Amino acid sequence: MLVSEIEIITPISVNDCLLLLSKNETEHRIIAGGTDAVVRMKEGKWRPSAWINIKGLKDLRYIKEKNGAIHIGPLTTHTDIIHSPLLQKRADVLVEACREVGAVQMQNMGTIGGNIGTASPAGDTIPALYVLEASIELQSINSSRIIPINQLFTGPGRTVIKPNEMITNIIIKPQTENEIGIFQKLGPRKAQSISIVNVAIMLSMASNRECLGGKIAFGSVAPTIIRAKKCEALLSLNPLTDDIIENIAKVAWKEVMPITDGRATAEYRRDMASALLERGLFRLMRRWENK
Amino acid sequence: MKELNFTVNGTLHSVSCHPAKTLLDVLREDLDMTASKECCGKGECGSCSVLLNGEVVCSCLVLIGQVENEEITTCEGIGFPENMDIIQESFVDEGATQCGYCTPGIIVASKAFLKNIDHVPTVDEIKTALGGNLCRCTGYTKIIHAIQTAAIKQFQEKGSIQV
Repeated sequence: MLVSEIEIITPISVNDCLLLLSKNETEHRIIAGGTDAVVRMKEGKWRPSAWINIKGLKDLRYIKEKNGAIHIGPLTTHTDIIHSPLLQKRADVLVEACREVGAVQMQNMGTIGGNIGTASPAGDTIPALYVLEASIELQSINSSRIIPINQLFTGPGRTVIKPNEMITNIIIKPQTENEIGIFQKLGPRKAQSISIVNVAIMLSMASNRECLGGKIAFGSVAPTIIRAKKCEALLSLNPLTDDIIENIAKVAWKEVMPITDGRATAEYRRDMASALLERGLFRLMRRWENK
Repeated sequence: MKELNFTVNGTLHSVSCHPAKTLLDVLREDLDMTASKECCGKGECGSCSVLLNGEVVCSCLVLIGQVENEEITTCEGIGFPENMDIIQESFVDEGATQCGYCTPGIIVASKAFLKNIDHVPTVDEIKTALGGNLCRCTGYTKIIHAIQTAAIKQFQEKGSIQV
């Protein structure tokens, strides 16, 4: 298929889009911000017979509070998230992750739903969504289901989303007053780069350095994002002293399972995963003490 | 082939082309607006930056079929030699350009950045805002000076309007 042969179909509503997906006779693909999809089209990897252009579906671009949860529409851009006072206050780990997604040009076009749907092991928003216990709502023309984010991905670029389904809502658990989060990333350069390793951390604190528990999610060190359960288990060895933080970082070195690729070697990734976690925990402790 | 309508620099254009053509290619090939440049073609260098409904985006990653009835501003729309924008004047005054390939993209990104700012930006703020625009000639120092100069001029001008 040549690029010049690709059609663009722009549905006028979510329902219209689901109807299009349901009669998927030929190969169609959804395009939102296009920051990833267009690159893949140019590389020849994705050549659908038609793009289903959902960028203009305003019904899927929102950030709102509902029944104690925060609902984010899949077409919400990274810029929308960065500027949302609600998310700045109740999901700062996600805001920090979105700030690290490329440069302004990418943040303005790229969407959170696109970042999830692309399912890159290096996707920056995904570790943040893991520690915020996100659930992803998938809709098809005649059904809808909610999948916890840790059950959504099956491998690099692969998800359980069926061809007739689309992401219509992202539900996260807001941070409480005693929960603090941080996102740390190492890329080839500071701006606009793909992650070599990234990590999202969320801690539930009591007083001083007493930690009630926490969540740690690494990106780019396995076929999908992973939770570092062994490291998490050590978080509540109270109090969370500098020594314990250093030990947790050592455990991370063993717990991650990276590969060597064009961006970095497996060994370097292990070292950096450990260093990023250690730095992230130190920074979080400093923030907590100054809060 | 499809007939597509959109606004560029305040003028309504109607172009007949395949819908998966990038906005950048349409600007350069169909509309002869060659300020926006193609360099990396995948959103890393920023030389194709344009404003889409006022927000800076990489036009090499936007398909023309996605921008029907939307508003695009290129570097040509920001100003020409006879009526330069403050930012363009500052780039000339500071000598903030060498080969010039990245300059239109940087002018567009600076325009979007300065529009939303109420103080003279720090070097770090400028570096963050322009993180997506690469220049391989200069050391960025003059570019950063030019943006600060433009910000100062912008406030002076606003002040004079109020008086």
